Amino acid sequence: MKKTKKVTAVLMAAIMAFGLTACGSKEAPAEPADKETTASEEVQEVKQEPEKTEQASGEKEVLEFYHGYWHDEATWYPAVVMREIYQEFADAHADGDVVFTPIPVEDLAPIYTNKIAAGSFPDMIDLAGTSLPGAAVAQGLVYDIKPYVDKEGIQEQLGLNYTQNTIDGKLYTVHDQLLTLGMWANTDVLKATGAALPDKWDTWDAFAEAMETVRANGEAEGFYSYGSGQGSVRMFNTALAATSAGAAMLDSELTPEIITSSEFEEAFKIIANMDQKNGSANSAVNANDFSADFNEGKSAVFVNGVWAAGGFAGNAAFEPTVYPGNVALSSAGGGITISNGLSEAQTQLALEFIKYMTSEEVQTRIFLEVQANPCNPSLDLEALAASGDGSAALLAKACSLCNKAGTIVKTVDAAWGSDIATAIQNKLTECSVSGADIDAIFSTLKDELIAIIG
Amino acid sequence: MKSKTKRRLFIILFLFPTLFAFAIFYLYPIITVFVTSFCKWDYQNVTKPELYSFSELLSNYKYIFQTYPYFETALVNSLKWSACGALIGTSVAVLAALILSWNLPGTKVVRNVYILPSIISSAAMGLIFLQLYNPRYGMIAQMVRSINPNFKDSILLVQPANFWALTFSYIFFQGTTCIMLLGQIASVPSEIYDAAKIDGATSWKRELYITLPSIKGMIKTVVILGASSGFLIYNEIYFLTKGAAGTTSLTYILRELAIMSPRSQYARANVIGVILILGGLGIIGIINLLFSINFKTKRLKREEE
Repeated sequence: MKKTKKVTAVLMAAIMAFGLTACGSKEAPAEPADKETTASEEVQEVKQEPEKTEQASGEKEVLEFYHGYWHDEATWYPAVVMREIYQEFADAHADGDVVFTPIPVEDLAPIYTNKIAAGSFPDMIDLAGTSLPGAAVAQGLVYDIKPYVDKEGIQEQLGLNYTQNTIDGKLYTVHDQLLTLGMWANTDVLKATGAALPDKWDTWDAFAEAMETVRANGEAEGFYSYGSGQGSVRMFNTALAATSAGAAMLDSELTPEIITSSEFEEAFKIIANMDQKNGSANSAVNANDFSADFNEGKSAVFVNGVWAAGGFAGNAAFEPTVYPGNVALSSAGGGITISNGLSEAQTQLALEFIKYMTSEEVQTRIFLEVQANPCNPSLDLEALAASGDGSAALLAKACSLCNKAGTIVKTVDAAWGSDIATAIQNKLTECSVSGADIDAIFSTLKDELIAIIG
Repeated sequence: MKSKTKRRLFIILFLFPTLFAFAIFYLYPIITVFVTSFCKWDYQNVTKPELYSFSELLSNYKYIFQTYPYFETALVNSLKWSACGALIGTSVAVLAALILSWNLPGTKVVRNVYILPSIISSAAMGLIFLQLYNPRYGMIAQMVRSINPNFKDSILLVQPANFWALTFSYIFFQGTTCIMLLGQIASVPSEIYDAAKIDGATSWKRELYITLPSIKGMIKTVVILGASSGFLIYNEIYFLTKGAAGTTSLTYILRELAIMSPRSQYARANVIGVILILGGLGIIGIINLLFSINFKTKRLKREEE
């Protein structure tokens, strides 16, 4: 009996040890190019060693492309269209030396953050509007697309990408769609409450007055002006851009000089005062929380992107508009980004893919079928909309308004980072509470922002 | 081989897998967190943390303690939530377990209903509470308004109401700990209760003088679990307030520094990691110390004498 126990014990220990071994990666670790150099030192070099060189004879190289369009038709139809677009590219290059493999993933961030932390980068990834991590650039993990773009003469079809995403003369990412935000107005609510319509919102004072009118005349009937919170940081963004000095600030890094500038303070206080009158009951961390109310005709203004057009078609009361002062938000943001560690053939195919995605043919599909603002500015959206349904016409109107706005600036997130945007948003929501001391809150915000960038 | 040596060998063999796993998955990360908190480690050198020179060794700590604007609030909140978890959370769990142990009619249904929120993720619970607290149509906001018709603000933005709103979004859901306590209560010999009944002890006295002392060890475990879960609260903040109006926590700012910041401030985030590890150890130590004190009433001591 005792012996049986001992044998069982040894067996169990062996099984546990085997289990632990099995937890390890199945892939053999890559052999360092130079054994005297550590792995971490290697990745500090600007040009990575190609991760995937020639495969064994007879096997083709693979170019993996990670994207976030994983949804089925019932969940989100545009994702199906995007996958079709990718597949068509894959099919067109099926006979080439490199196999193009699009891979849909639900959460993109872990794909690239984990790779970056390990000193590498996915073959190619669509960052879907999120900023390209500075760590990828600092470590030289991403490929500079600019020489190819200049050589091919396709600067024009990249649109805002070419200007907004060029860092120190290098272009690392191209987003085929723009993150474009204006506002949506419900003219029925505005008319019912006697408030001025969007064409009169030339200044923030005029907009604030219209919102006050909605409150004064419509509160008893259940109307409210707008949803603040995430919407407030968008409004702060454009209030800052209403002056040329403020707009220029969004093109540079956030500095203590910007934070303590009169433009910054004025923009914050305009929105903070408006939010306080609007009330914290109409404030939420996510702008989409107000979508249902706006659709049901309870609120006058919905601060959201042009992509919301799909839900508003068929109701003439829903009108797109830009922000007071003829300002719109449009960020290229992070998009298709290529690893610096690919073979020449892989890199060539990846570059061709960028050219393909920004081509007029694909951009037209992105506009009509994906219902997004395409990055290629050569498209005549209104003419294209004539061939589409009602939502395409509304999207074209919204995109055109924003694309032709007097001032187009990046979002605060894209310009200064998500942590800065969250800090500003949080302070604006605090200001929305009745009786909150806006001056004191702004003073705290200044200290916070200076500390964050420190 | 001597039997003593064999015995030692077996002990080592048994412990080896666990110790190995502990070393790889816990000890190594803990040491890494501690060491890198003294390094320059951000987006500029993600794969190569550089240890600061001796004169700058505490740079990250100085930044977090003296400059970073959310640390103090986060630390205070985390400690308060830890205390709430230990006191309110445990009290709720103990009370629920005692009542459920009486096996009143409908106990099984109530027990299952009570456990239900514990099997839903805290992220989903956060979203549910976001609806409950919604200032326009949320049930809780309506209840507040029925008491105070002039209250028109969002509960989640008004201090200190928002602290309690966040606390209540998780503190009552003690299904798991309640089951742990119920199991322990079931193991108390029924003869002791019978004897107490014969001696004329009332129901509550039986619970107070028999059940609670008998399950003291499990209560200690539950207090530790409650305190540590309060200390590590994250999802509720992310979904309800995003840290606005003074509702941030240590885990929330850790993510802000490491993930949300475009500067990927890993080393500074690891300072928070060190504080969380030390804080967790401190909490366990304090709870162990408190439970080692023998709280006996003067009357009981007299009776014993």
